[in-house]
Order: sequence, then C-alpha cells, then structure tokens
Amino acid sequence: MSDPAVTVEVRDAHVSYRVFEEPATGLKQGFARGRMRRLYRMIPAVQGVTLDLREHETLGLIGPNGAGKSTLLAAMTGLLPLRSGSIRGRSRPSLLGVSSVLRPALSGRRNILIGGLALGFTRAEVERRMDEIIDFAGLRADIDRPMRTYSSGMRARLRFAIATARIPEILLIDEALTVGDEEFRRLAAERIDDVRSASGSVVLVTHNMNEIRRFCDRVVWLDEGRIRAVGDPAEIVDSYLAAPSPNSR
Amino acid sequence: MADESGKIDTAAEAAHGAGSQDAPVRPLIDLTSRPTARTYLREAWRRREFAIVVPAQDLRAQNMDTTLGQLWHLVNPALLVGVYFLVFGVIIDTRRGVDNFLGFLIVGVVLFHLTQRVTLEASTSITQNMGLIRSIQFPRILLPAASVNGQTAAFVPALALAILAVLATGELPTLRWLVLPAVLVAQFSFNFGTALLVARIGTTMPDLRQILPHLFRLLFYGSGVIFSVDAFVQSTAWRRAFALNPLYDVITCARWCLLGEPVDPWVVAGLVMWCVLMPAIGFAVFHRSEQRLGA
Repeated sequence: MSDPAVTVEVRDAHVSYRVFEEPATGLKQGFARGRMRRLYRMIPAVQGVTLDLREHETLGLIGPNGAGKSTLLAAMTGLLPLRSGSIRGRSRPSLLGVSSVLRPALSGRRNILIGGLALGFTRAEVERRMDEIIDFAGLRADIDRPMRTYSSGMRARLRFAIATARIPEILLIDEALTVGDEEFRRLAAERIDDVRSASGSVVLVTHNMNEIRRFCDRVVWLDEGRIRAVGDPAEIVDSYLAAPSPNSR
Repeated sequence: MADESGKIDTAAEAAHGAGSQDAPVRPLIDLTSRPTARTYLREAWRRREFAIVVPAQDLRAQNMDTTLGQLWHLVNPALLVGVYFLVFGVIIDTRRGVDNFLGFLIVGVVLFHLTQRVTLEASTSITQNMGLIRSIQFPRILLPAASVNGQTAAFVPALALAILAVLATGELPTLRWLVLPAVLVAQFSFNFGTALLVARIGTTMPDLRQILPHLFRLLFYGSGVIFSVDAFVQSTAWRRAFALNPLYDVITCARWCLLGEPVDPWVVAGLVMWCVLMPAIGFAVFHRSEQRLGA
C-alpha cells in the first residue's frame, strides 16, 4: 500500500501526442506518393516520469521549453491520455493555464457561469459565489465586458478566480502567475496556502525562479521528458541556472 | 487568510476534516483511464445544467449586436416560413399531388431545418470550445448536447409558426396531432446521436464543416421536403428505400400527424430504428475517443 500522505502518484508515465506536419510537397507529389492523408508524427513529450505528490506540498516543475512540463500537467488532469504507466490521485486536479480563454465573445460574468458549471457547480452555487469570484478577480468594473476585450492579466485573474472558486484538493498551475501584477500574485499566494492548509497539494510550472524559491517546498527538473533532478528548491534552481547548454535553460 | 477559510468546502474536506492526521486514508483513483459508459453518463447527467444554461447564454449573445436583438429568434423562423408561403403559396400556386401543398411544404422545411441546424452547430461544438476543453476536465458530451439543446430551443418558435401556418391553410386539429410529440422526441433522439457523431468527426476532420451544407442540400431533395416522393416514385421497392432516410421518416410521420398524408409502415419502422440506433452509434464513437478530443 502506498504512503497515506500521497495525493498524486505518477508511475513511469509516458505521454506522446500527434502533431500534424505540413509536407513541403505539393498536390502533384501527393498524388505521386499515392496518398493524400495528412502527415503526422508522434512526439514523445513525457518519457517515464515517476513522482509522488504529498499533502501540504508545493512542488515546482522546471525545465527548458519542450521539456514536457505542461504535457505532464495535462496528463495529471486527464486531459491527455497516457501511452503507458499510471497516474493515480485522491481526486481530479484542477489545472490553471494562461493560454486559453473560455468564451471570448461573452462577458466575464457569463464566463464565470460557464466555467463554474463546467467545473461541476450548480447554477445556484455559481450565482451565490458570483460576487466573491468577481471581487477576487478584481474585475468589478469590467465584468460585463466581453472577455476578448480583457488584457492577458485580467483574463488570467478571471480564470484563476473561477478555477479556485472551490478550493481544489490538488491544484496545478501552468505559468498562470507570470501574467498577473503584484496584487494578483499576492492573492494567488493566498490561494496556494489555502490549498496546502487544507492538506492539498500544488504543482507550479514556471520559468520564474523567484516564484519557485518563494512558493515551492520541492523542485523537479524536467529535461526532454525525463526527470533530471529532484530536491531542495535552492539547490536545484542553482544547478539548473548553472547548466551549461543554452538549451537546458 | 481567515476570511478565505470559509470557502474550503471540497468533497474531500467534508470527508475527513482539515488536515486531520487520523483521517481515514482514501484510495487513489486512476486519473487517466476512461470512465465506464455508465459512470460517464452519470457524471454528464449530474452536470446537465451546463448543457442547458450555456446554449441559452450563447443564443442570447448571438443577436446582441443587432437592432432587433432577441426578437430575431422569432423573426428568423417567421421569415423562413414566410418565404415559402410567398413563393409556393402566392406566386407559384402548385399542388403536385398533395392536397394541402403549403402545409406539406412548411412542415417539411421546418423539421428539416432543425436537424440541419443541430448538425452544423454540433460539428464545431468541440473545436469551438478548445479553450474550455484544454482548461477544465468535464464530460465532453455536454458540448454537443449543448448544441442540440440550443438549436432545439431556438426551433420552438419555428414549430409554433409552422403549426399556425398549417391551421391557416385550413387544416383542423385531429386526434392524430397528439402523436406529433412522439415524432418530435424521435427526431430529437436522432439529432442527438447525429450531433455526437459529427462532433467527433469534426475534431479530426474540420473539413466536415465545408462538406455538411452540401450533404444537407442533397438530403433536402432526397427527403421529399418540397415534393411528394409518393407522387414521383412509383415502384414500391424504391419507396421503401426512402424509408432508410431518417429525415424522410421524420417529415413523413409529422405530415401524417398534422395533414393526414399517407404513411407507409416501413417509414414508421425506419423512424423507430433511427431514433434508437443513432444515439447508440453516436455515443459509442464519441465516448471511445473522448480523451483524444483535447489533444
């Protein structure tokens, strides 16, 4: 039986995804090849990662672009299927990222409703928390404007507020803190503490080493889909920053 | 911090108290495996409100920038019915082997339109919601379900107008009208299955969005929307072949209800088959590749 304090257990996880390639060839060559199918290839993004996430822990995930950090988070939420290995957890983690907006054409208020329902709230629950979410996002004045008119910082705050409206047991944050201002970072830090004090766990993916030092208890350095080092934030960050290859940064 | 603590109310929290050490250990659940069809449907049903509220929001947002605003949901079907009324009722006075051609036409057009709208909308329901899909894990079936619900809700005024138009052409309600809800439920069920299928295909083949309008134009002529198949097709074998077309089945059954047009038993059998088969096919296809939808 596994350690009772473990909230997420990742065992030899492999994740690959398909990317479509635009062939440099034209129609003629396509016919000559006898196939008009779209070409794709498998990119092995995570290659055998094993780690345990514990109660009250904030784990930092660092590594160069393309190291598989975001892919690993997506796999932990069940957004991407594993090719092999296993990921088990106490409950389904909530993932916070910056890249996507919910519904750009709709107002912030409607996005809160949609996001809340997708998260499994009832409409009444969302309505009840609406003011609280708006205030946490600091968007009182802009909440009825379409989300596409928001700055990236405002979007990030709104998404953060929606996703943490119910304090998740396991919170995964993918670069979501980098877009906000200092005030947002302070609120985010509070939420992270909320999760931890409720015996939950946080995984933080960031390129900002100050955030790693500030928030994390333990750091995993991911490189080309594999764990290169695990340990104390100060030590790992130092050796990461000192790594010779520019590609390792 | 103290004012934040009131919000800590996850199911986990309720189960074993804040950070308590002697709490019972909960077993870890597999986060990556596909849920069984049963669990999946139960979860989707629990969150059904999403598939009702979201399309309602979208419908409202759709006409926000127009002068008539929400009135468009009524004006649009009125124009649809009105144009056919004008062209075939006033300009070209035609019968083509049907007693009440105008009523015949309007019932056909409105019902055909519903399935077309649902299918087109559902074909992009996944691709249009990538933002939501990539950030939140929820049963994806809710997205095509939202398309079906939204388009069906938008169809209600059109149906009401079609029935008014049928009354205006001189038909009187009969007991057969009571069967119409059953036909509409069967169509809804068929639409739902189709929506799941096209939503799935649309993610790997976005070209579907270009193909569908042409497919529907072809179906339009193959479903006897603007002419009576019985008046054109003499051979019984060929007439029965039309029963394989689900839209022909829906339209013909609805015309039987409202206008007393003849209906072949094979057409009824075809409708029953499609309204059971299509959701089963759609769900099987959709559920099988659910996890790949976000990639």
